[in-house]
Amino acid sequence: MALVLAAFVLVALSIVWRRTLGIGQSERLATLDGKRNELEGERARLESEIRDASSRQRLGVVAESQLGMHVPSDRQVVILPRAGRRESP
Amino acid sequence: MKAPNRVTVVHGFFVLFALALVARAAEVQVVEGKAWVNRGKRQHYIASAAAAPRGEILDASGNTLVESRELTRVAVALPEVRDTGIVLRALRRARVDAALVHAAIERRRRWVDLPGLYSQSDIASLSKLNGVHLTPVLQRVYARSSGIRSIVGSLDGQGNPLDGLELALDATLRGDSGRVSLARDKSGRALDSPDAWTEQPRAGSTVVLTINNTLQEICERELAIAVDSLRADGGDIVVMNPHTGEILALASNRVGHTSFSNTALTEPFEPGSTLKPFVAASLLERGRARPSDMVNTHNGKLELDGRTITDMHKAAQLSLFDVIRFSSNIGIVEFGQRLTPRQKYEMFRDLGFGMPLGVPLPAESPGTLREPKEWSRQTSASILMGYEIAVTPLQLVTAYSAIANGGELLEPHLVKEVRALDGKVIYRAEPRAVRRVMSGEVARTVQGMLLAVVQEGTATKADLQTFDVAGKSGTARRTSQSAGYVAGNYTASFVGLFPGKDPQYVVLVKLDNPRGKHYAGGDIAAPVTQIVLRAALAARDAALNREDLATSEKTAIGSTAGQTSRDPTEHIDAASYDPTDNLKPRDIAEGTKSYLLDLPASHIAVPVAIAPRAVPDVRDLSVREAVHTLHAAGFRVRLGAGSASGTSPAAGTIAPPGIIVQLNRPLQ
Repeated sequence: MALVLAAFVLVALSIVWRRTLGIGQSERLATLDGKRNELEGERARLESEIRDASSRQRLGVVAESQLGMHVPSDRQVVILPRAGRRESP
Repeated sequence: MKAPNRVTVVHGFFVLFALALVARAAEVQVVEGKAWVNRGKRQHYIASAAAAPRGEILDASGNTLVESRELTRVAVALPEVRDTGIVLRALRRARVDAALVHAAIERRRRWVDLPGLYSQSDIASLSKLNGVHLTPVLQRVYARSSGIRSIVGSLDGQGNPLDGLELALDATLRGDSGRVSLARDKSGRALDSPDAWTEQPRAGSTVVLTINNTLQEICERELAIAVDSLRADGGDIVVMNPHTGEILALASNRVGHTSFSNTALTEPFEPGSTLKPFVAASLLERGRARPSDMVNTHNGKLELDGRTITDMHKAAQLSLFDVIRFSSNIGIVEFGQRLTPRQKYEMFRDLGFGMPLGVPLPAESPGTLREPKEWSRQTSASILMGYEIAVTPLQLVTAYSAIANGGELLEPHLVKEVRALDGKVIYRAEPRAVRRVMSGEVARTVQGMLLAVVQEGTATKADLQTFDVAGKSGTARRTSQSAGYVAGNYTASFVGLFPGKDPQYVVLVKLDNPRGKHYAGGDIAAPVTQIVLRAALAARDAALNREDLATSEKTAIGSTAGQTSRDPTEHIDAASYDPTDNLKPRDIAEGTKSYLLDLPASHIAVPVAIAPRAVPDVRDLSVREAVHTLHAAGFRVRLGAGSASGTSPAAGTIAPPGIIVQLNRPLQ
């Protein structure tokens, strides 16, 4: 009878331990999930900022006012045909 | 019979009690088992809707224009807070508005929703505080370009689409929301559990536009500079690939107010002389004239139907070719008399004027094209010069594309393809010809006329040094809502084909009411076109096929048939477009009459230049009342069925009057 009781306690403890471990892992998963979403949101924000910072609206003004650059005239643009590569219109 | 003794009665009672227990246990386990299991699950698991991320919107080169990202909404349940001081300090550290919470404590409120959305990194320290509730929210991130935003539209605070492609393609972008169940611990916190169930949300599809972001940026920048330097009320630039109908750029600019819809589709205008090439094409198509046919142009002044029509280029007679080249009003009216009113009407109708083009954007205007029975005595001549007809910039570009591609009117496309979540293409736009509006030979002849306009006509300022540009300028007087044509108010426009032969772009530049020394389309819209083309040539990816361009250089093709080759050094370069020339206030009375028709304003009632207004909220009205209300607000109404009552564009959207508003009512 004592052995049966001990076995029951062991089984019960292992179930509780497994459940506790599961809950811990679950919390960790939830944390990591949140972290992943956070990083993806951050990536989207940074990419958006890169796009804005490298846009013509932003760079064009700086290039013209601070670096003295200008859009070349059509005569200054030389088109070199490259075999095997076509830009899709 | 012997009476049962006391022990038997007690035993019997216990047996009955045991049987009752077993019976009740059986009832609970067998009969009511499922109900109790469900009740237990409800107590231990919470189910919540999981919003599906809306699909991305990309430009034609794959650059992201719109995407979704997860942010967090913060709320505080004050009864659950153990130490308000700790919560307030944590909120301040996270740069969340703690003053609101402080005020709520004083007013003894139980729940405080804090305004704004926060990134996870900002509020990480709040996540473990009792009483602080964090809710993930999907937020739309838009490109900063105002032109792109007017195309893609926006969402309201609840994630419902308001306008633009977000509204028109909502079913495609929205995806299917899912449901998630989570086990709760003793504190009510959610935990993942093997017993929990999940219906994964299905993200919306990715929409790829035909818009080229580089070209769009070029157009927006040059338009803003031109509008600013010319002190115009606004303007539009539209670029289309004439061989596919793909809209490559849609830039709009309005001074003093933000337009929530793209005015290149929603605001029609009287195009003026830019319609003359279509009259020439119709004459050629019907065999009613040849390019070399001459008409009397009355030395630049003609009295007709009680008004005086004048020409800038005064000549005794001009050929049809030169009528287009010098934009002769008298010449086009004289030639146009060879067409009946019905033929003129059908010519413009076949070009797509007077009806929406079907671009998937709400609030597209059909423009105005009246049937001949509604014409006044002067309409027959006015319409040949681009008056008493209103077209949207997109309609005009689509019609010019027919000249550029050999005579086919193509359906304009704004959506290039739609991709499912796995990347599989589920829709791809193919070029679709609506109808043939002129033969290839006529289209080539008209292209030759348009080349002459830029090389030796009214729009030489659009020309490039190394490539031919064809096109036509237009300068039209503008109406006001109440006073007919207003002296000194003009719409300057230029429609260009680049390169002049086998065009890859059709470009429309339109400037509303410029207030400078120059106001003619050839003087101010043509140079803007030239600058846009130069920037596009210099850009890495502006939807140009450079191999085909290499064969289109002037040195390669020599002189245009029928035209003389010019010394490249004689070309007017960008410097000739001097915005500072236009900064001084112009004496309106000077120098305007030679370009323009002296039209009596009282006869004209084309509904252009009318102030946009908000679409009224008719959700709670009957269909009859809703239609009446929308009509009273100046909108046209189309009935439709939807999942809920409402309108498209949504109530509150600022839209120009005259557009079609779809009135949705749920299916019974």
